[in-house]
Amino acid sequence: MKIHTPLMKLGLASAIAIAAFGMTGCGGDSSSSKNKSESMSADSSAGIGAIVECASSCTRSGFELPAGAIYVSPDEVDGADLKNALITALTDIPDNAVIVLPKGSFTVSSSITVTDATGVTITGHGMTETKLDFSSAPEDDGFKFAGGTDITIRDLGVYEAPKNAIKADGVNGIHITYTAAVWETDLEEGGSNNGAYGLYPVSSQNVLMDYNYSVGSADAGIYVGQSNNIVVRNNVAEHNVAGIEIENSNSADVYNNIAFDNAAGILSFDLPGLPQAYGGGVRIFSNNTYDNNTTNVGAGAVSLAPSGTGILIFATSDVEIYNNKISDNDTAGIEIASYFLADDNVENYAANYGATMANGWSPLIKNINIHDNTFKDNSLASPPKEGLLQGIIAGFQSAGNATGSEQTAPAVIYGAIGELLSNAGKLAGFNQIVGADAKADGVNYDVYSAADLICLQDNINENNKNTLGSNDLNVGLVYGTDASEPSNWNADLTAPTPTLRIDLMENNTLLDCTHDRLAPAVVTIKGKVYGCTADDAKLAACKL
Amino acid sequence: MNIKNGFQITSKGLACLLSGVLLVACGGGSGSGSTSSATENIPDSSGSVDVPDAVTGLELCAQNIPGINWEALLTENCPKLSDYNLFIDAKNPAVGPNGNGIPYDLSTPLFTDYATKYRFVFVPEGKVATYSENEVIEFPVGSVLVKTFSMSADTSKRGINETHIETRLLIHRADGWTALPYYWDSEADASYIVTGKTIADVSIIHDGTPLTFDYGVPQKNQCTNCHAVVPVLDRNDPTDRRKSIFKPIGPKARFLNYDYDYGTQIENQLAHWESAGILAGVPVDKTGIDSAPIFNDATELTGLSTEELAVMARGYLDINCAHCHRDGLTIPTPNYAGAAGDSGLTVEFNRDFSADPGRFGICKTAVAGGYPADDTGYNQYPRDVIPQHADKSYLLYRMNTNDGRHKMPELGRASIHKEGVELIKAWINSLPANDCGLTLAP
Repeated sequence: MKIHTPLMKLGLASAIAIAAFGMTGCGGDSSSSKNKSESMSADSSAGIGAIVECASSCTRSGFELPAGAIYVSPDEVDGADLKNALITALTDIPDNAVIVLPKGSFTVSSSITVTDATGVTITGHGMTETKLDFSSAPEDDGFKFAGGTDITIRDLGVYEAPKNAIKADGVNGIHITYTAAVWETDLEEGGSNNGAYGLYPVSSQNVLMDYNYSVGSADAGIYVGQSNNIVVRNNVAEHNVAGIEIENSNSADVYNNIAFDNAAGILSFDLPGLPQAYGGGVRIFSNNTYDNNTTNVGAGAVSLAPSGTGILIFATSDVEIYNNKISDNDTAGIEIASYFLADDNVENYAANYGATMANGWSPLIKNINIHDNTFKDNSLASPPKEGLLQGIIAGFQSAGNATGSEQTAPAVIYGAIGELLSNAGKLAGFNQIVGADAKADGVNYDVYSAADLICLQDNINENNKNTLGSNDLNVGLVYGTDASEPSNWNADLTAPTPTLRIDLMENNTLLDCTHDRLAPAVVTIKGKVYGCTADDAKLAACKL
Repeated sequence: MNIKNGFQITSKGLACLLSGVLLVACGGGSGSGSTSSATENIPDSSGSVDVPDAVTGLELCAQNIPGINWEALLTENCPKLSDYNLFIDAKNPAVGPNGNGIPYDLSTPLFTDYATKYRFVFVPEGKVATYSENEVIEFPVGSVLVKTFSMSADTSKRGINETHIETRLLIHRADGWTALPYYWDSEADASYIVTGKTIADVSIIHDGTPLTFDYGVPQKNQCTNCHAVVPVLDRNDPTDRRKSIFKPIGPKARFLNYDYDYGTQIENQLAHWESAGILAGVPVDKTGIDSAPIFNDATELTGLSTEELAVMARGYLDINCAHCHRDGLTIPTPNYAGAAGDSGLTVEFNRDFSADPGRFGICKTAVAGGYPADDTGYNQYPRDVIPQHADKSYLLYRMNTNDGRHKMPELGRASIHKEGVELIKAWINSLPANDCGLTLAP
């Protein structure tokens, strides 16, 4: 399901997203356990399973509506306000209820809160068949799920939520599928009319998000924060500030997604000061992240992401990025930076971040494994786009880089200052701050070991734009990593100096290493297992 | 008809869902472990009808008994507030509690659009609540906390020309606390309402100036937005399926520890509850209790020392924010936090500020939300709190806006508390300097 051209008309894009997910009949859907025919394809990412007749009626995606489902306002006309009917239906929901929202376009004039739902499915008739417009709600999220277990949200569209479209906080087992989070105001106008997160599970476990569509978020369209055991697959994130973001989370597989026309396509962040202090075990693979050149109108942490970014790894360790198609991102295909990019005041870290560093948060990035990705025509903005990396990229392009000649801007940029400072022993004092649990988990500020390195291997050059003179596919390091190399330091060896090393990715000497593969994420919801070890076990992407 | 009873939707039930009327008309929806069975009489196999002996179910609400209707409070969501008989005069929830009810107030109250709040505590006869140093007082099963929100025409003349809007009940039932919202749809009585209510264009005079806003009575589901603490899931335990815990917020020692005028006498509220027999375990020396000072709209900030200002600000942040912005610091059940505990901003009154100022937002980057850049490309509010730069602090901005995307608290106010904003602004500007690694314009 490759989409080759960026689409500026939102309606058209959403239609194509639907077609890409398209179950035109009632296809075999893995979540419908009572489906007559189990001939659904084991390859769930194919998008279309076996077409079977539904026993009674199905949603657009093929979810069969069971006997005993609770229908909310089934005969309601377009434009009606569903607020009261929704609140009533979602108060004291019986365990394992299936609640069916009506077909059509409706308004919802307030935020809807659902607390401690157990085993509940809330479904519309389809992403575009059940459209819920929250523009008249005065404030807050569209849907807010507080606590609960084994919740499914599917086959509906949340439009113009004042804040987040769907937030799920503290849920064990949350499946969001065939759901759209939409803001139709153009982001470029300043983002103040756009909501925050589109789909927003936080502090949860067993998170499965597949076949969703998010557009127009002024923060992240598809986001998972401080959660564990996560699968984000087969989603489309278009024209958000951040397309897909994983933050302070453990064991997350992000695969077969499409992220385009965002400011940054796919992000993995570890922010300081959060209860789940740090994450890791993030695998980003087989995604298509292209043309992410929208202005970054976001604020808070996401405002750091440079517009024009395919994939951004920021202060997270233990990440594997492979088999992605990364194209036409004007700043860089992949950026890897430590938290020093946001706050370079190393002397104040103990004072400002001491508590969270004790819990294991670290500004450093370690164990990043980048392999087998295809890069096509990234980093071509000339002059480089405004933002954090503007001067750095200009430096790489100029004769001021370490080679002494002009070069094509690198498609992979690694800051490396954290590694350099670690190797020089300048951060060793932080070791005292690290608490016992984090220490046992391997958090340290020592010289980088082989297992800590950033590795770049076996990536593929498909550049063909040739407008700047060469189709070189380059990797660049802002700082060197050898603490004993004098050129990496200023005259009195007290502060590091950027050297702007740059090399062809193929056979590069800068990040020449390999790593063990990371383990796949496993999600269990209502006793069913999802992910590369389970329903996607035969998926080509999972077997790489 | 109780929606919980299986999936057989009778036409009556369907009508309920279609019209979304007050759950009242459809009956049922009682919170928990309820004995409220269907009010229909069900024939047994012999064909004769069993008539229940005792009064059960919603009939408890209708029974006419002298005194407080404790039975109904324990199990029923009654259609009318008067059904519970909490007040001597059912039309007036501001005075005259029935039985052993006691009025109370908080030294620093939650801001709700300048409404006057009439609070009462009812503890069943013969039972007693237990004092807690930092947490909500532990009330026994059967206790009821009643709070009526009334809008004054002029806030400088409270109690005069006031309109009752809503009365919220928190009832400690056998399986936990439940919240019941009642809306004063007539002057005579208030009706149970699940779906919330927006009252457009409420107009008052505050501080000599007219103020107009749409007042929101929360939906029943939304009570948990503030009143619940949520489980912090154990990532090593996939079977962790704990539920939220519903808690009252206001009646904490730090907000009760001052003198209240009971009419017949003026007395410290904690001492009064103790001598009334509803509270045990209060320390003899009340001056040793860490307390939030009195903060109301008439409080003068000039002349306060930095220390006094800090305590006052911390009391304000606690009552307005810390029900969500807290972690497990004082929650008795382990591994629970407030709904916004995962933001990293935790502002409990008894939290040690100096141990981690970042928890109070000092130099903290907003995790979610944030305000877009201004013309210079500079993020207008780059940190939650920038000491001595209140005008660049995102926390203050969120208090001082009605923009639905940024407003804090998320729920519970439609207007801006300018006195609260002044307090927090003064506090931020009084903090020791720290530019948070930013280059700030003077």
